[in-house]
Amino acid sequence: MRYITFVKMTEDVGDPPPALVEAMGKEMQAAFADGSMIEAGGLSGMRDSTEIRLADATITQTDGPYAEGKEVAGGYAITEVRSHEEAVEGARRVLELHLEHWPGWEGSVEIRQMFSSQ
Amino acid sequence: MTAPPTHDAITAVWRRESVRLVAALARMTRDVDLAEDLAQDALVAALEQWPDQGVPANPGAWLMSVAKRRAIDQFRRNETLRRRTAELAHELDEAEVPDFEAAVDHIEDDVLRLAFLCCHPALPPESRAALTLRLVGGLTTQEIARAYLVKDATMGQRISRAKRQLADSGAKLEMPTGAERQRRLADVMAVVYLIFNEGYAATGGDDWTRPDLCLEAMRLARMLAHLVPEEPEVHGLQALLEIQGSRLRARYDEAGDPVLLEAQDRRRWDQLLIERGLAALGRAEELAQRGAPVGSYVLQAAIAACHARARRAEDTDWVEIAGLYDVLARTFPGPVVEVNRAVAHGRAFGPEAGLTIIDAVDSVPGWHLVPAVRGDLLERAGRQEEAARAFRDAAALTRNEAERRILLRRAGL
Repeated sequence: MRYITFVKMTEDVGDPPPALVEAMGKEMQAAFADGSMIEAGGLSGMRDSTEIRLADATITQTDGPYAEGKEVAGGYAITEVRSHEEAVEGARRVLELHLEHWPGWEGSVEIRQMFSSQ
Repeated sequence: MTAPPTHDAITAVWRRESVRLVAALARMTRDVDLAEDLAQDALVAALEQWPDQGVPANPGAWLMSVAKRRAIDQFRRNETLRRRTAELAHELDEAEVPDFEAAVDHIEDDVLRLAFLCCHPALPPESRAALTLRLVGGLTTQEIARAYLVKDATMGQRISRAKRQLADSGAKLEMPTGAERQRRLADVMAVVYLIFNEGYAATGGDDWTRPDLCLEAMRLARMLAHLVPEEPEVHGLQALLEIQGSRLRARYDEAGDPVLLEAQDRRRWDQLLIERGLAALGRAEELAQRGAPVGSYVLQAAIAACHARARRAEDTDWVEIAGLYDVLARTFPGPVVEVNRAVAHGRAFGPEAGLTIIDAVDSVPGWHLVPAVRGDLLERAGRQEEAARAFRDAAALTRNEAERRILLRRAGL
């Protein structure tokens, strides 16, 4: 079962503490080493993002940045796991690391199964 | 207020840790069977306690400390094991690491030792595969039984017998060195490859593939590549499995009938796995350039990569593939390689070139691939009647129902 997870937070939180970066690096390495992690990466900030929307039969384009305070995805990971619970556990581990290394940080991880279009 | 973790959630947490638990406990107790029991005990304790207490921040450390406590209790209670206790008590104390993660380097060696033991030459290959899936893959006996289409009890017996055979043969958890290490590593790789192939070209039953086995084998290959990163063949194995695994979805049509490589809808190939496979092959080739010897997995992966790089079947670089098969045939001769070499030469230089090779292959009793490939080459050469006869011969030999259907169709039946 393939999953994609997004780590989401508000954009005004600043840079992560080095301890978290290090801990996350180790966690990712472990996930690559046990064969469950397929790919991971970061996403550009909303300042550089664009949304196009269809409403009232009109397509409109809006460029970032957007109103602050909204939780947005800052990074993603694609994993191959044997159950939904395993994907959730991987995500929970990420939040445990944030709790330990980034005092006051709040955010979420969105966990979605990927279905192939083909 | 969050809901307490479910049975499945706790099992998932445990499963993520199980290989490292079993591997570390096996080192401490020098008893794989006991190590597995202790890891199971830790799961039972988690199932009892976590619904109330929640999942601990570091579940690996929690499970490990419970298992170690159980180990010490057991040794104290069990008279027959007491003789070993003095020695083991020292080991267990020494292993009392407060931070499980801090012991990661240690753990990787433990996991590799466990893999060597599961693939020990004292065991027949199918027992090695079952034991590896159980102890290194962390699968339950039921899951392995389902994957191999046998009864739970049958698989349970196979695993127990394997453990008994290991104990009887005096096989030890060890880290072999030099040529012995290469030999044992080859055994481990062969088991991973065997598991993949069992899923990829299901030899029995109605299904053409059993993807779960392929996914497990791919996971094991990735693990192995991290455990032995200096070895090109291990990256070659990973590359081979990732690239072959990328075609899983394209290998059968909606009716469940197999689709051969050249007829596959390449849009259904998993590009993410192809990228990973090509990257792994790149690592293998880089190591090879620095002088590390390559073997059959790297060569096979290089061939698989030629297919993966071709956007359309007609773009396939068959001359390159034929050349790689020539190298493979010189270094690792055998009928399987010859059959594939015949296919490649047939595509690269015309069907007659392929037929010359296939006609020189000694017929292997009960093996359908020689007549199947001969049929294909004859068909391409426009020799329809001979082709139909070859396809009929092949259909009579295959044990796979789906494959039989396709062969009979090509025979015009």
